[in-house]
Amino acid sequence: MNVIEVNNLTKYYGKSRGIIDVSFDVEEGEIFGFIGPNGAGKSTTIRILLSLIYPTSGSAKIFGKDCINYGPEIKKDIGYLPSEVFYYDNMKVIDLLKYSASFYKKDCSKRIKELSEMMDLDLNKRIDDLSYGNRKKVGILQGLLHEPKLLILDEPTSGLDPLMQQRFFNLLREENKKGVTILFSSHILSEVQKLCNRVAIIKEGRIISLEKISTLRENSYKKVTIEVNSPVKGEYFSIDGVSNLEMKDNTISFLFKGDTNLIVKKIAEISISDVTIEEPSLEEIFMHYYTRG
Amino acid sequence: MNIYLREMKSSRKSLFIWCIAMIVFIAAAMGKYAASSYVSGQSLNDIISKMPEAVKSMFGADRFDLSKAIGFYGAMFIYVVLMAAIHASLIGSNIISKEEDDKTAEFLMSKPVSRAKVITSKLLAAITNIAVFNIITMLSSIYFVGYYSKGENVTDDVIRLMIGVLFLQLIFMSLGLCFSAFLKNPKLASPCTVGIMLATYILSLAIDINSHLSGLKYLTPFKYFDAKNLIYEKGFEIIYIVLSVLIISVFIFAAYVFYQKRDLKI
Repeated sequence: MNVIEVNNLTKYYGKSRGIIDVSFDVEEGEIFGFIGPNGAGKSTTIRILLSLIYPTSGSAKIFGKDCINYGPEIKKDIGYLPSEVFYYDNMKVIDLLKYSASFYKKDCSKRIKELSEMMDLDLNKRIDDLSYGNRKKVGILQGLLHEPKLLILDEPTSGLDPLMQQRFFNLLREENKKGVTILFSSHILSEVQKLCNRVAIIKEGRIISLEKISTLRENSYKKVTIEVNSPVKGEYFSIDGVSNLEMKDNTISFLFKGDTNLIVKKIAEISISDVTIEEPSLEEIFMHYYTRG
Repeated sequence: MNIYLREMKSSRKSLFIWCIAMIVFIAAAMGKYAASSYVSGQSLNDIISKMPEAVKSMFGADRFDLSKAIGFYGAMFIYVVLMAAIHASLIGSNIISKEEDDKTAEFLMSKPVSRAKVITSKLLAAITNIAVFNIITMLSSIYFVGYYSKGENVTDDVIRLMIGVLFLQLIFMSLGLCFSAFLKNPKLASPCTVGIMLATYILSLAIDINSHLSGLKYLTPFKYFDAKNLIYEKGFEIIYIVLSVLIISVFIFAAYVFYQKRDLKI
């Protein structure tokens, strides 16, 4: 069953681009990564899912229900952590959490206690006095305290120290084991890599790739670095399957995806002094998506 | 209910300050009346009767008997009205837009609550604020005017005046609500509302000074519940009550429609 179905969502803010023709599904029980550089449209997509803003065209469903028409109903089972956390001034942490809990018709006090101990958060401090990282924890708590079936996290880890990140990831894994579906947006690939089953990559408002992490990790990409004896024309390696082509003095490097024979032949035809062919890091694969053009 | 309580909690301090200010203002104003009635031999009316028309109109002296406590109160009542209008404009234009200004809209609206319900809760909180303001002002007026009125019964007059103010408050509150629901940039809601409020006030002054403008009186709520009419003459006029109710309902209805349709500014 699909928990989230996004169909051809397009959003323009006046004339400026938000997202264009975004479609993807998130299955029940999966951790779905949503990856892209800043301004690519991750938050826009998420805000449409929560009907904070309305799409120019297209539609989205959560739990099989249209997210605009059934907004309040489906939000009962959604926990949302916004990318920037601002909360009411003059409120203590516990007051905010109680206010948050008051929207759900269940008793969340036990859960608040559990989570605050796990995340090491002082409930009696005023939110104004908290550091950015601690505010983020408040955000995490208000998103999780009602035991939602779907968690939508918009860049959740920024501001958390490594230890807290670790605890937070463990918490997410536990939730996921209980059957909670997670949509995890981030621009940091390594954290998505640790956690997610599948990723959608969004760039300049469009989904440009949707793959399983395991597929991405497979040896389909080679990172090739060549030292040449005499300069080679730029077009020489501009063949299908080559990306991130860089030439600096006599060093040429690129990523290659495709028939290895082809590229080896290509290399054999020129005079080289050194060559390495290795598995690229996921970061390098993604740079190919991130960089313009 | 939770949103309503949250709003009441967050506005209680400012409401308290407003109420104190109103009590002090009314006490001070009526204290001036006491002082003016001691001016030796010559009553305030005589001094003012020598002033030019425009100045008289500004002080309301052409319409009120300033030698009586209720007349003096009626003349300075416009300031009570203005303060009530400012308070109502600010409450109305801020109560929704502050969630977006303070970036809390994203928190609130991701909870299982419809935008209509958010407006309803906030509207009730705004009305409560306005009602408290009104009642406190009414009670302190009854007390202070009564204190100086030498036994004359002023309660009915004050109650009539304050009912008029309540309509005015509701008009400007709903105008503010409507602006904050409609404008894409919610920061503009309160300057727009206060701006319109002051413009209609100035229009009402212009109408007082220049009788050729009296046809415009329907455009300014400040003319709907004229203190002089409420104290001395006709009392409430049906046309203005109908007009007020109409304006208030249209603004509130529009607020619901606009707010449910627009993108939140996050």
